[in-house]
Amino acid sequence: MRAYQDMVFSTAARLTGNDAQAEDIAQDAFVKAYENFSHLRSSPTAGGWLKTVTTNLALNHLTRYRKRWRFLSEFDAPTADAQPELQFPLPDTLLADLEQEQRRGVIDQALKRLPDHQRVPLVLYHFEELSYEEIAARLHASLAKVKTDIRRARMALLPMLESGGIAP
Amino acid sequence: MSELPEKTDPLEQLLDRTLHPLPLRRAPPTLQSRVLEELQRRAALPWWRRSFAHWPSAARAGFVLVCLALIGVVFLGGNWAAAAAQSLHTSGALSPSWGRQALAVMTAAAQLATLFARTVPSVWIYAGLGAGAVLYATLFGLGAAAYRTLYLSPAKGR
Repeated sequence: MRAYQDMVFSTAARLTGNDAQAEDIAQDAFVKAYENFSHLRSSPTAGGWLKTVTTNLALNHLTRYRKRWRFLSEFDAPTADAQPELQFPLPDTLLADLEQEQRRGVIDQALKRLPDHQRVPLVLYHFEELSYEEIAARLHASLAKVKTDIRRARMALLPMLESGGIAP
Repeated sequence: MSELPEKTDPLEQLLDRTLHPLPLRRAPPTLQSRVLEELQRRAALPWWRRSFAHWPSAARAGFVLVCLALIGVVFLGGNWAAAAAQSLHTSGALSPSWGRQALAVMTAAAQLATLFARTVPSVWIYAGLGAGAVLYATLFGLGAAAYRTLYLSPAKGR
C-alpha cells in the first residue's frame, strides 16, 4: 500500500479537486485491492490496476452530481468550430523558477479552481494520458465537447500558472 | 490507453511540459489507518451480512439447495393444494359459494392448461419460446440503439 498510496491519492485528488473526497476514494480503492489481493499479489500490473480503479471510482463519485454538471456545462452547447482562440503570445515555460514541490502546489491549487467539466477531461488528458476519444467515451460526452472543455480548461489554467498561483 | 496523436497545439505542448513531470501528491498520513480500520470493520461483520460472493462455500451451497427446495415445494404444494381442494369439493365440504366459485375457476384454468399441453405440438411451444427470445433480443437491441442514437448522440452537443 505504501508504494501506491501517493499515486492513488494524487489521481483521486486531481480528478475530484477535493482532498477529503480523494481520501475516501483512495480508501475505497485500497479496500478493493485487498479484496483482490490474491490476484494482485504477484501481478506486475498492480499499479495500473489501482490507477484504473481509482479513476473509475473518482468518475463514479463525480457522476453522482452529473445532472447538475451536464446542465451547467452544456448551457452554451459548444461545437468543434467554437474553439476559443488565444489572444496573446504563449510563454516558453511556466513556473520554471519554482521548485518542483512548489510547482506542484501551484498547479494543484489552479486545478481545484477549474469547474468539474473542465478539470476532469483536462486531468484525464494531461495526467492519465487518455486520448480525446477515450475521454469522450468515459464521460459519455461528444468528442467536440471534450475538445472544447479541455481547450477552455487550458486557457483558464494558463493565467493562473503564469501568475505563479497568485491568480486574481 | 491508445496511442496519442502528435500534439501540434502550442498551448497543449506547453501544458504537457508543465504538468507531465509533476511529482505525486503525498497521501495523508491517516489514509493507511483508515484503510486498516475499514478492513477490520468488514472482517468483523458476520458472514451473512457480507455479499454472497464472500459467504462460506458450504453456506452458498446450502442457500442454493434451500432455494431449489422452495421452488419444488411451491410446485408440489400447488399440486397438493389443487388435489385437496378438489377432494373437498367432491365431498361437499366446501360450503361457502365463493369457495366453490374459486375452485371452479382454478379447475377450469388447470383443465385449459392440460388441454393446451396435450393438443399443441411441443415444436410449437419451443418455437414460441424461441420467437419470444428473439423478440426480446430485438427490442433490447433497438432500445440500446435508440439510447445511443438519441440520447448519447454527439449532435445533441454533449
